[in-house]
Amino acid sequence: MYFFTLVVGAASGMEFLKWLARLIDDFGQSINIDRIPLYHFPDIWQNLAWSCGLLKMGLAIMVVISITNEYTYRTIRQNIIDGMSREEFLLSKVYTNLLLAAASMLSVFLIAVVTGLIYSPEIDFPYALTGIGFFPAYFLEVFAFLSFSLMIGIFIQRSGLTIIVLLFSYLIELIIKENIDNYVPGIIPFFPLESIMNLVPLPFARYAFQEIRDYVTIGSVAIALVWTFLFNFLAYRKLKKSDI
Amino acid sequence: METVLSTQGLTKIFGRLTAVNNLNLEVKRGQVFGMLGPNGSGKTTTLGMLMGVVNASQGSFSWFGQPPTNIVRKKIGAVLEHPIFYPYLSGQKNLELMAMIKEAPVENIPKVLELVELSTRKDDKYKTYSLGMKQRLAIASALLNDPIVLILDEPTNGLDPMGIAEIREIIKRIAADGKTIILASHLLDEVQKVCTHFAVLKRGNLMHIGPVDDVGKGEELVEVAAYHDDLGIVLQEFAGSGVIKREDSHFQVMMKDGFHGQDLNRFLFDRGIVASHLITKKKTLEKQFLEILAEGHPTAK
Repeated sequence: MYFFTLVVGAASGMEFLKWLARLIDDFGQSINIDRIPLYHFPDIWQNLAWSCGLLKMGLAIMVVISITNEYTYRTIRQNIIDGMSREEFLLSKVYTNLLLAAASMLSVFLIAVVTGLIYSPEIDFPYALTGIGFFPAYFLEVFAFLSFSLMIGIFIQRSGLTIIVLLFSYLIELIIKENIDNYVPGIIPFFPLESIMNLVPLPFARYAFQEIRDYVTIGSVAIALVWTFLFNFLAYRKLKKSDI
Repeated sequence: METVLSTQGLTKIFGRLTAVNNLNLEVKRGQVFGMLGPNGSGKTTTLGMLMGVVNASQGSFSWFGQPPTNIVRKKIGAVLEHPIFYPYLSGQKNLELMAMIKEAPVENIPKVLELVELSTRKDDKYKTYSLGMKQRLAIASALLNDPIVLILDEPTNGLDPMGIAEIREIIKRIAADGKTIILASHLLDEVQKVCTHFAVLKRGNLMHIGPVDDVGKGEELVEVAAYHDDLGIVLQEFAGSGVIKREDSHFQVMMKDGFHGQDLNRFLFDRGIVASHLITKKKTLEKQFLEILAEGHPTAK
């Protein structure tokens, strides 16, 4: 279901915007959307990667339900009794996260290629390929977020509460960010969720003639990697220590 | 006989509550070992520690003389408290998943289903099963890998009398096969019928451990009734009578050491009284269990 939504969403985004433009047309203003290089190479890499990054919440909910179900139905207990080790159990969930992230990346990548070919007025290799680095970054973004969700799920063990906390974590980080901004703006990129979001920065501002970062930085990747490792490690520690 | 399970000072503390206190016990191969105790005595916590789901606060244990890793657990079939399966999957699918974890051949599945008579319902979702079927699936799953040891925690919980009898038969059959079984149960007469050894826990402490056979030794109780008005007085004249109690339809005579039902029978016959009802009852496990629990301090080391 998720992948269907993802694919359809990404592909039809262009049509949707065209339709929007026509709407605005009726109000006397005229914007020729075809001229905005939304779906054109090379911009499309970042545009699509960022937009589909919003949908990682859907995947996260799936992961949360998968892990909290194990606690609710106590199947985690029986699996360990049967001879699964706690490491194996965690690994199975982590592999699933990797798989989901990889599949997400591949499907969005394919959509990007296809729609890019459809809508780009001219394709100029290798210029068209600049920014393709956003896709591995997208993979890391999804995997990091899923690792975060898995960890929260293991700590809270109840599906409703976990999802609420997941949604709230963005809010809480936002509040802290706003407050700290005046004092120590330098540490903001080190926050967990912020670092995940920084992997693929918001691209659309460039169409309003603003400068944006349109390449993946090593720094953001490094921070995100550290957080990902930390999430999975904390999940492992919690699993090991607790009575199931 | 080789030792299948041994614990050394196994302890579990939950904050202020000591659920299991310094437990030392040994189970040997081929024994049917009953774990008895009131609710809250630490039976399930102990089994949880032995099966790797509860982390012990202190102490250690070993299965088959090997360190307790997840691999030894694959050779043990265990059902703790309630049957646990994925409700949205069928019985068959649940067993397949379990076979994967236990590294058991998938061909075993039809055999165990047959044993518990669930073959017809194997493709129905687990959530559609009645309680009896769930218990039976649990027993089937415990047998899946043809385990060396079987752990059954209250396997007849919530079953109707027919279900209880069925489970008893299954357990007897498995015991006859030479499997070691650890059985935690409240049904003391079931335990007395099936188990070879038993241990009694109370508030986390081991109160008693020993063979079931020892329970019956010593005291004998004889129930006797006869069509004779002064039977009670006559019974008191019998040399072997200890305490005599009068029930509604008969007398219960506690026999002194060395005296048996046939002695009482001969005694009455010599007096011209023919007993219409004469039964020798060995001391029940229930009686000894209650006696053990009434003692204030643990007797076993």
